[in-house]
Amino acid sequence: MFIRPDNWNELSPLERRKVRLDAWQNAPVEFISPEAEANYKERIERLRKIYDMEPHDRPIADPFMGANEYIVRRKGLNGKDMCYNHEKLREPLLEFHNEFQPDAGATPLPYPGKVMDMLDYQTYIWGGQKLPDELTIQAVEGEYMMGDEYKEFAADPTNFWLKKYLPRVMPTLAPLAMLTEFPRVSENVDIIDMMLPFGLPPFQEMLKTMMEAGNELMKMLGAVGQTAGMIAASGFPSMGLNIVKTPFDYLGDTLRGTKGILTDMYRRPNDLLAACEAYVPVLINAVVNACDRNSAPTALYVLHKGADAFMSQKQFEKFYWPTWKQVMLALYEEGITSYLFIEGSYNNRLENLAEMPEKSLVCHFDQTEMGPVKDILSDKFIIAGNVPASLMATGTTDEVRAYCANLMDLFGDSPGYIMAHGCYFENTTDDKLRAFIEAVKK
Amino acid sequence: MSQELIDAITDMREDDALKITNKLLDEGMSPLDILNACKEAMDVIGKRFETGEAFIPELILAGEMMTAVSDVIKPRLAEEAASEKLGKIVIGTVEGDIHDIAKDIVAFMLDLNGFEVTDLGVDVPVAKFVEAVKETGATVVGLSGFLTLAYDPMKDTVAALKESGLDVKIMIGGGQIDEQIREYTGADAYGRDAMAAVALAKEWMKE
Repeated sequence: MFIRPDNWNELSPLERRKVRLDAWQNAPVEFISPEAEANYKERIERLRKIYDMEPHDRPIADPFMGANEYIVRRKGLNGKDMCYNHEKLREPLLEFHNEFQPDAGATPLPYPGKVMDMLDYQTYIWGGQKLPDELTIQAVEGEYMMGDEYKEFAADPTNFWLKKYLPRVMPTLAPLAMLTEFPRVSENVDIIDMMLPFGLPPFQEMLKTMMEAGNELMKMLGAVGQTAGMIAASGFPSMGLNIVKTPFDYLGDTLRGTKGILTDMYRRPNDLLAACEAYVPVLINAVVNACDRNSAPTALYVLHKGADAFMSQKQFEKFYWPTWKQVMLALYEEGITSYLFIEGSYNNRLENLAEMPEKSLVCHFDQTEMGPVKDILSDKFIIAGNVPASLMATGTTDEVRAYCANLMDLFGDSPGYIMAHGCYFENTTDDKLRAFIEAVKK
Repeated sequence: MSQELIDAITDMREDDALKITNKLLDEGMSPLDILNACKEAMDVIGKRFETGEAFIPELILAGEMMTAVSDVIKPRLAEEAASEKLGKIVIGTVEGDIHDIAKDIVAFMLDLNGFEVTDLGVDVPVAKFVEAVKETGATVVGLSGFLTLAYDPMKDTVAALKESGLDVKIMIGGGQIDEQIREYTGADAYGRDAMAAVALAKEWMKE
């Protein structure tokens, strides 16, 4: 839990950022040895200096998201294990950290297979469920909000999410639609409406399932939490992120689907813009609350539909950028750094990113040309990326070394650089992963 | 040919495109001429896509307009001679990958550009590609894959097609596909987008 200091209201955005980063950096860890403690402190200090864009000895290489599946696959585990057998993942994860000594900890792969089964979750399929055991997880796009529901969404996004979206993507939760609109619970008789569903058998059945799913979740979190704790205890700090999306991507990825949202730009542009606007305060509140709950100093955006290929610059600046920028600026005011994982390419969007205040962003690129990134963004923001997944999967170790050396030539002396994947390294080899991790140490 | 219809489609005026189609039919224009106007409009959009003036939203919306116009004129098109096809293509997303959006756009653009496209859908097993090529007599195969997990199924599919002795050219494409993966899979070419796929297919048909 992040506790704001008494003088929070007098602090500038960068001072607030410092307080949040201090809380993350100084979170208590019980180390397995003095050596692990020394390593942890050295690593988190380096990462902190990168986040602060202050002088430091070298960039870091981050296996945080990029290699986490490979780390367990190399020991013979598969997608089904990642979704259902979290205890089994611990040994390979710890072994990887000890063997490779990465600059930061990898994620402990918290895919909640059993819980998703119990809720009948529709927007993903996964190994051991509908996908073959060896595969992990894939998104299933759908139209979970109809084109004529934009106004209802914009009027009250939270109510829509609770009573329309959740029942559609988790049919087990269909009885949620019975709930009253909570803001009208005021007088004593309103309690009747509020509590009525709780007395009805379908709602009670749902609650029972949710409690059972909650118990399963606690078991999984126990296993994952223990692994994450042991990774930290062994000397490897976590990057400290909460996942979020842009308003447009929530509407596109999650509610309308790619085809829906992209044609909505022509069919119902005003409804789409109003919905993005309506989502801004909801999103800011949600991210600030999440960062307060777990003391993570950064919000990780997994960015999709604003990429170069998906829309024109004009469409980006009309539909995608303004509300996203509002969210990022509000988070900046709260001291939260926006970590942008930019899938595809953003060659045309660099000047937009450059509008943001200094140190407000970590820009992690996939296929964007890194030369212009260096020129336009690297003095202002922390840069990360862009080692290609295709190279890690099918290139030689020498080719990986050469690619990483090139990135070091470009960014080695930048105020803040994190060597990282473009798309995830799901399949690679130990030698190539080692070349990636060691590249920053030269 | 109706410039009015071409303009409506290229300006993304969906409602107008349908209204104009109905008006032209009432005025006695032949369904084939209307279809040709649509194709000309799509050609303009395709060129804009190549030059970076149109993007995926325009391709998708134009595709929807084409479908809507086709639905209106199809009943009247039955007697008209089917236009000659440039060649046959089998397309699909490889085994283990369920992504269809990019594959659908490529299939649509190939179809529009005069190819007879057999779309096998997503998560397509290796054997099904071979079978479909045998059944249709296709000379080009398009393999789509969004995720890095598509690399190996793509490689396996290319190998099976080559081993089967079928005379096909294979193109690959998708989010994380590049020249490196073309080399790895042994495919004949990779295309960055739908228009690249059309250009490749046209080039191969000349051979």
